[in-house]
Amino acid sequence: MIKSTLSSKHLLGIKDLNVQDINLIFETADNFKDVINRPIKKVPSLRDITVANLFFENSTRTKLSFELAEKRLSADVVNFSSSNSSVKKGETLLDTVNNILSMKVDMVVIRHPAQGAPHFLSQHIDANIVNAGDGTHEHPTQALLDAFSMREQLGSLKGKHIAIIGDIKHSRVALSNIFCLQKLGAKVRVCGPPTLIPKHINSLGVEVSYNVQETLAWCDVANILRIQLERQNIKYIPSLREYALHFGVNKPMLDSLDKQIVIMHPGPMNRGVEISSEVADSDHSIILDQVENGVAVRMAVLFLLASAKDESQL
Amino acid sequence: MDVLYKQIRIISPSKKVPQKKVDLLISKGIIKKIADKIKAPKGAKVLAYPNAYASIGWVDVGAQCGEPGYEHRETLASIRAAAANGGFTSVIVSPDVQPVVDNKAQVAFIQSANKREAVSIYPMGSISVQGKGENIAEIIDMHEAGAVAFSDGNHSVQSGGLIQRALNYAKTFDGLVYNQPNDESVSGDGQIHEGQVSTMLGLPGLPNLAEELMLKRDLDICAYTESRLHCANISTAGSVDLIKSAKKSGLLVSASVPILNLCFDDQALGQYDVNYKVFPPLREAKDKRALIKGFISGTIDLVSSNHQPLEEEAKKVEFPYADFGATGIETLFPLLLNLVSDKFTLADIVEKLAFAPRRVFRMNTPEIKEGAEANLCIFSPSEEWTYEKSNIKSKSKNSPFIGQKLKGKVFSVYNNGVLVEN
Repeated sequence: MIKSTLSSKHLLGIKDLNVQDINLIFETADNFKDVINRPIKKVPSLRDITVANLFFENSTRTKLSFELAEKRLSADVVNFSSSNSSVKKGETLLDTVNNILSMKVDMVVIRHPAQGAPHFLSQHIDANIVNAGDGTHEHPTQALLDAFSMREQLGSLKGKHIAIIGDIKHSRVALSNIFCLQKLGAKVRVCGPPTLIPKHINSLGVEVSYNVQETLAWCDVANILRIQLERQNIKYIPSLREYALHFGVNKPMLDSLDKQIVIMHPGPMNRGVEISSEVADSDHSIILDQVENGVAVRMAVLFLLASAKDESQL
Repeated sequence: MDVLYKQIRIISPSKKVPQKKVDLLISKGIIKKIADKIKAPKGAKVLAYPNAYASIGWVDVGAQCGEPGYEHRETLASIRAAAANGGFTSVIVSPDVQPVVDNKAQVAFIQSANKREAVSIYPMGSISVQGKGENIAEIIDMHEAGAVAFSDGNHSVQSGGLIQRALNYAKTFDGLVYNQPNDESVSGDGQIHEGQVSTMLGLPGLPNLAEELMLKRDLDICAYTESRLHCANISTAGSVDLIKSAKKSGLLVSASVPILNLCFDDQALGQYDVNYKVFPPLREAKDKRALIKGFISGTIDLVSSNHQPLEEEAKKVEFPYADFGATGIETLFPLLLNLVSDKFTLADIVEKLAFAPRRVFRMNTPEIKEGAEANLCIFSPSEEWTYEKSNIKSKSKNSPFIGQKLKGKVFSVYNNGVLVEN
């Protein structure tokens, strides 16, 4: 029997998904990608479902991408944004969310600066929860859209070499990518300055390198991460200048390789720091494909979670 | 009122062989008679419990109270009730309340009700003025007022110079300096033990290094000053080794381990369970094994409840925003029973809970004999009970064990002429 539902009622992290779940999301996303390229981009799948997008941290593309995905599925959408954490505002996260849920909301998409915030919510409230990024923990839909985009370029990811380059320590994208790519059979390496790589990252079964040029030669795909200056309370690198010189990816580095690798970046880019403009705009780069795929993948996730909800209510 | 305990076995480290059951009669706070069978005097309270043992009252060596300053978490009255529920007739409390216990008036306040309560509370005095970690407080004065040791509580002393001066100065009265090792410049904003689990949860880690680095410093300073140091709440395998070699080289060092670190490792945190967010953090299985081994062999002298009462609002929040700490004074004994083996018997538990703490903190050790003042804990290692929110005596409910069935229960304590039945 073909699996048609996810094994969880929430998407808290890639950690909780199995390979079947990931493949199901990809197959569903394939269909939705067709849909959003049609003249009429909208389907009625989530009619009567109300989704609340709760963003406790700044976001442009993720928020837009979720909102578009919801609207193209005909969901009713409400948005809540607060760059201050709920704690600083004086109202607890639980109170905020319970207030919103009493207005009959079915699904919650949450971005929050605290690791585990979506897990915490899932223990206390009923709605389906989609993690849109929790602190330095996970960003599951980003990892799904990254893997989906790699799959478009390379086919199966089994045995492929994927490098994640940059600030691993402060990145939720890195962790979700590692979990997702490993489940799909890829070999993962992280690369960056030692102060930006968690000491025990190798316990997750990834390779560690401090040499970008050598890593580019090793990999089929380089996923270049943003330097998360806003998440660094103390200085882990002396300067952006030194970072760009020693860990930035530029065109001559790619030209020196004897193969064409795929360049990705989850955005927003610091052009001239971790990635040069020449690279970002080159034909190696699939950065804009990632953005397009983001909407299809998020439609798939929302659709699958909502249909799981329907079944459980029958 | 006279109290008659029926059919109890008296247990102490020197009485390893299971003793026969006896009756024990207390009159006006004094053990009047111990005999095979005692007829209850008129009006006496008669207490009979299944499979009951009697030990001298236990001592907890590091609990946080909330009074003064944080009475919504714990008061002196509520920590007494919680301690009695856990079998403790003495509790050594941290000085980091508000205002900090850094002068003799504060020391006197904490002890003020001791003579009329079953549970005596013994304050540690603050090492530094207002617990700020800068200048040394009036520790001779506090010692004379009854402070049993000197510590900055949950704030590890960051300055090597300060801990050196404190250790040196305390030699005036052969005092004990108590420090929980944690180099804050290394531990930073860490949330849980640094390892695979912290990596998978995306949480900043608290590396073993932060503890061991300061422990090495403290031991070096202890060797330099030749004074008495208590290394409190150690949690890593490396720390056990450091203590072991320090003792071998003759340093006047003692150590304690929190009960949770003897029973759990960081796998308990896999689902962001805030009740296991404690300090020192739960470490890896290999650390836990080394702690158990060190504890049983005597390298680690003591086990602490590491009782940290917190209001619900401090815990029912996103994981990184939750405060560190769990209550523990009421559940220490059943958890410690998990360690029982042929190498670690019930008599060894009594040694660790009742005798060793009094040696380390230089407190009088009561006896169970006719004519002695009664200071007793009556317990059973086999009694099963459920730790329900409704029977928690602490004002705070931040325990990971609520709703769990536990084996090993304290039925009653008696001290200072006061009986407490649980």
